[in-house]
Amino acid sequence: MSLNRLSAITRKEIIQIRRDPRSLLIVFLMPAMLMALMGYGISLDQKNVPVCVFDREGSQQSQDLLKHFQASIYFNVVMVNDDYASLVRAIDRGKCSLGLVIPNDFSEQLRNGGEVDVQGIVDATDDNTANLIFGYGEAVVAGYSNDVQLQYLSSNGFATMNAPVSVQSRTWFNEDLDSSNFIVPGVVVLVMAVIGTFLTSLTVAREWERGTMEQLVSTPVTPLEVTIGKLIPYFALGFIDTIFCEAIAVFWFQVPFRGAFVMMFLASALFLAVVLLLGYWISAATKSQLAASQFSLVLTFLPAFLLSGFAFPIDQMPIAVQAITYLTPARYYLTLVKAIFLKGTGVAPLMPQMFALTLFATIVGRMALRSFRKVLE
Amino acid sequence: MENSVLVRDLVKRFGTFTAVDHVSFETQPGEVFGFLGPNGSGKSTTIRILCGLLHPTSGRAEVAGLDVVRSSEQIRRQIGYMSQKFSLYNDLTVIENLRFYGGLYNVVGGELDERIRWALAMAGLSGREHSLTGTLSGGWKQRLALGCAVLHRPRIIFLDEPTSGVDPVSRRRFWELIQELSAEGVTVFVTTHYMDEAEYCNRLALIFRGRLVALGTPTELKLNSVKGEILMIEASPLGQALEVVKTADGVRDAAVFGNALHVVVANADAAMTAVRTALDSRGIQIKRMGRIRPSLEDAFVALTSDGATRTAPSRADARTKSSCH
Amino acid sequence: MLRKEFIQLLRDPRARFGLLVPSILQVLIYGYAATFELHHVRMAVLDLDHSYESRDLLSRFESNGHFELIATLNNRHQITDLIDRGTATLAIQILPGFSELVGKGQTAPVQVILDGTDSNTALIALGYINEIANGYAQDYAKANLMRTAPAIAVHLPDVELARRPWYNPNLESQWFFVPGTIGSILLTSCLTLAAFAIVREREVGTLEQVMVSPISRLEFILGKTIPFFLIATTQMILIMLIARLWFQVPFHGSYLLLGIGTSVFLLSILGVALLISTVSGTQQQAMIASFFFIMPAITLSGFSFPISAMPRVMQWFTYLDPLRFYLVIIRGSFLKGSDWAALWSQIVALVIIATALLAISVQRFHKSLD
Repeated sequence: MSLNRLSAITRKEIIQIRRDPRSLLIVFLMPAMLMALMGYGISLDQKNVPVCVFDREGSQQSQDLLKHFQASIYFNVVMVNDDYASLVRAIDRGKCSLGLVIPNDFSEQLRNGGEVDVQGIVDATDDNTANLIFGYGEAVVAGYSNDVQLQYLSSNGFATMNAPVSVQSRTWFNEDLDSSNFIVPGVVVLVMAVIGTFLTSLTVAREWERGTMEQLVSTPVTPLEVTIGKLIPYFALGFIDTIFCEAIAVFWFQVPFRGAFVMMFLASALFLAVVLLLGYWISAATKSQLAASQFSLVLTFLPAFLLSGFAFPIDQMPIAVQAITYLTPARYYLTLVKAIFLKGTGVAPLMPQMFALTLFATIVGRMALRSFRKVLE
Repeated sequence: MENSVLVRDLVKRFGTFTAVDHVSFETQPGEVFGFLGPNGSGKSTTIRILCGLLHPTSGRAEVAGLDVVRSSEQIRRQIGYMSQKFSLYNDLTVIENLRFYGGLYNVVGGELDERIRWALAMAGLSGREHSLTGTLSGGWKQRLALGCAVLHRPRIIFLDEPTSGVDPVSRRRFWELIQELSAEGVTVFVTTHYMDEAEYCNRLALIFRGRLVALGTPTELKLNSVKGEILMIEASPLGQALEVVKTADGVRDAAVFGNALHVVVANADAAMTAVRTALDSRGIQIKRMGRIRPSLEDAFVALTSDGATRTAPSRADARTKSSCH
Repeated sequence: MLRKEFIQLLRDPRARFGLLVPSILQVLIYGYAATFELHHVRMAVLDLDHSYESRDLLSRFESNGHFELIATLNNRHQITDLIDRGTATLAIQILPGFSELVGKGQTAPVQVILDGTDSNTALIALGYINEIANGYAQDYAKANLMRTAPAIAVHLPDVELARRPWYNPNLESQWFFVPGTIGSILLTSCLTLAAFAIVREREVGTLEQVMVSPISRLEFILGKTIPFFLIATTQMILIMLIARLWFQVPFHGSYLLLGIGTSVFLLSILGVALLISTVSGTQQQAMIASFFFIMPAITLSGFSFPISAMPRVMQWFTYLDPLRFYLVIIRGSFLKGSDWAALWSQIVALVIIATALLAISVQRFHKSLD
C-alpha cells in the first residue's frame, strides 16, 4: 500500500467535501433537526387522555366516578354527552380517546352488590395506545371501586379494611418511566445509521456516473487505498456528527449519561465503521446513484427503525423475526447506547455487542473491497 | 521492447456483439500511432483492453513487454491514459487535480513541483492554477488532462478521442503537444474519428466494425487503397448527379463528400468526358470538375465500401482536405 | 414522453426487482416485527416467605399470559444481576413475613423491580401487575368476608371497567400496522423514484434537450410523474393483497373511496418530489432532501407513535405531513368502514397540500432552469 496514493485520495475527498458547503451544512443540520423533531414528537406516554361520558343516570355515585377520572393525571373529562350517538361521533372524530358509558341503574346495581360494569370504549385501531388507556382506566375504576367497598363495609359496621397487598415498585434506570429516555437514544442510533450510510453510498457511484472513476482505475491505485482514502474523511465527519447527536441527547433532552466516555466513543466508532462501509459497498456494487439511494433507505432506516429495538421490543417479536434482528447492526449499537447512557454498564458485559459490530465491520468491509473492481465491465 | 504495444488476434465480445474482431498490429517505439474509425468501430474497446480496463475474450496483447491480463497493475504504473469522457474533477482546481494524479503515480516532492510547472506551461495554464477545473473550456481541460496523464513520464500513453468536442484551433495545438512528446521518444497511441488529425500520425490503423481494414502511413493508405484515380465533381442537384454518375462509363464508385461527389475512376480523362456527357444529357449543371489526390476519407470509403457507408465518416472535416487540381 | 419514462425505468431488471421485492419484504417484516403487544415479559420471582399466601400470589403472576417466568431466585443479589444484564425485565420479591401481615389484616408489601429502559413495556407490565395484585386483594378480602359475614359479602359491590375495544377487538398490532405500511411504502418509493428521476436528468444533462423540445412545463411535469403514479398503484394493489390474504386484516370500507384517497395522497407525494427536485442540483442533494423528509414524515405521522401523545406544537406540525391524513383514510377503510362523511376532511387536506406543492414546484421549475 502506498501512502502517497492513499493521501492523494484522502486529500481529494476532503477538498471535494469542503467545496460542497450545502451538503456539509446539511450533514450537521439534518441530525440536529431530526433529533429535535423526533425527540419531541415521539412519545408513547399518554397523559391527559380526553374522556367523554354518556352518563345515563346522572346520580351522585356516577358523579363520584367521574371525579375519580378527573383527578387522575392520565385523564381529562372533556365532554358529557346526552346520547349514545353523540358519544360515538365524538370518539370517531377523535374528540376523545375514552368513552365511558355509565348504566342508568348504576346506583341500584351498587346497592345490590356484585359486579357492576362501566363500559369503556376505546378506538382500538392503535392497539398499544388502547392498551395503555384501558390499563389506566381500569386502575381508576379500581380506585373508585375500593372507595365504594370501604364505604359499604364501614356502613355495615366493619372497620376500614386494609388492602392486603400493596405493590411497591421501583424502576431502575429510567425512574420516571419517561419514554423520552428510551426513545432519544434510539433516535441517535436511527439518525447515525442513516447518515453514516448515505455519507458514503453516493461517493463511488457518483464517480462512476461522472466518468472520473474510469480515469482513476487506470492508475496504479489499489481498491484498498481507494476505500480507506475515501472513508477517512467521512469517518471524521460521522464521528463529529455522532458526538454532536449524543450531546444533544444529554444536554437538550436531559437523557442521563451514566457510563464512560471512552466506551461511548469506541462503540460509536465501531458502529460508524459498519455503516460507512455498508454505504460504500452499496455504492461500489450498484454503480448507480438511484439504486444506491433506494438500497440505502431499505437497508438502514427500516431495520434501524423496526428491528433494532428502537420502538418495538425485540423479545416480543416472533422468533423468526428475532433471528433477523441479529443481522441488524443497529440492534447492537442501540443496546450499547442504552446500556452506556442509562445503565452505566462497563466493558465486560458489553463485549458481545462490541464483538458483533467488529464482526460486521470486517465482513462488510471485505464485501466492499471485493465489489470495487478496477475493470469496467 | 519497453515502449511498444503488441496485439495479436485480439477479440472482444460483449454477449453476441463482437466489438474487436481479430485485430493484430505492433507499434514502434516513439511513434504516433493512430487508431482511426467511426464511432462504435471498436477503437475505445481496444484501448481499454490495452490499459487493463477490460479483459479480452481471446488473443494476446502486450504493453511494454508485459501481458495486459497478467501484469495489468505493472502496466498501469508505466502508462498514461486519457479517457474519452474527460474525467478530471470539476470541483477541484487545476493544481489540485495535478497534485492528485501526481500522488496516484507516486510523483512527489521536488519532482512533482517541477512536473506540475511543466504541465502548467504546456497547457498554457500558468497563473491559472487556482481556477476550478469546471470553469475551463474544452481546449484547456483537454491539455490539462494530458498533463495529468504524463506527470510520471510514462513511455507509452493512450489517448482515447482526446479532441472530441474541442475547437479546431485547440485541436491543432493539442497535436503539436503530441508531436513534442513523440519527439522525446514517447509512444503515443491515439484513437480518433477526425480524418484530418489522422494525417498527423506516423502510422494509422483503420478500424471498421471491429476489424482492422488497413495499416500503414497516411501516405501509403491514400495511395494504395484507392484503385484508380479520383474525380471531384460539384454539381447540382447533387443527389441526382450521384445517381447519374454511378452509371456512367469507367466509373468504379461514387460517393457524396460534403457538397461534392468523389468519383473513383479507372482513367480520369476518359471518365471526365463520359461523366460530362451523362450529366449534360440529364440537364444537370456541373459547377466544377477535376482530378484530385485521394484523401484519407477516400481511402476509408474505398476500404469499407463492401459494407454500408456511402458518405465520409466525418463530414465536417471532409471539406478541409479536398483540393482540386 | 410517458413512454420514454416507462421504458427507461423498466428496462433495468434490477429496477423492476427493486420496485416490488422491497415492498413485499417490508410489509411482511412490519407485520411481524412491529408490535407493542406483550406476550412474554421476562420475569424472575423471589419468594422469601414460602407461605400459602405468597405462593398463591406468585402463581397468579405466573399464570397470567403476559408474563414468562424465567427464574426462581434464592437471594436478592441475583436480582441485580438479572436486571442489569437485561435478562429479566422485572423481578417480584416477596419478603419474609408476608403471610403474617396478610393474616393480621395489615398491608403486606410486594416489591417489584422494573427495568425502565423500555418505558413502554415497563408501564404496560406495571399495569398488569397492579391489576393482578388488585385482583388478589379483592379475592382475598372477599373470601375473608365470606367467612365472617356472608350476608354482607354477597352484596359487596365491585366496580369494573368493561373493555370495549372498537374496530380491533383483539387488540392485534398487525391490524394497526399492516394497513399503515401501505402508506409508508408508497411514500418512500414514490418519493425517491420521482425525485431522483427528474434530478438525474438534470445532472446527466438530458434535461436541457427535453426543455428545448416543444413541450410545455406542465406537460413535462405530468409526463415525468404519471409513470410513478402507475407504479405506486401496482405496489399498492400488491400490498393490499398481502394484507387481506396473508394477514387477514379485515376491510370494511369502500374501495372507491380508498382509491380516491390514494390518488390524492400520491399526488401530494409527487408534489413533494417535485419540490425536492427543484431545490436539488445533484442526485446526492435529492437523496438528502428525500431522507430528510421521509424520516420525520414516517415517525411523526401516527404510523407507530400516537399523535395524541405528542406535544401540542408537534401535533400542529403533523398537519404538514400527507402521510398523517392518508393513514386515517387507509386505517379507516380497513378497520372502521369509514365513509365519505368521516374522511372528506382528510381528502380535502391532501388536495390542498398537493395543489400547493405542485403550484410552488411549477413556479420554481421555471426559475431554476432559466
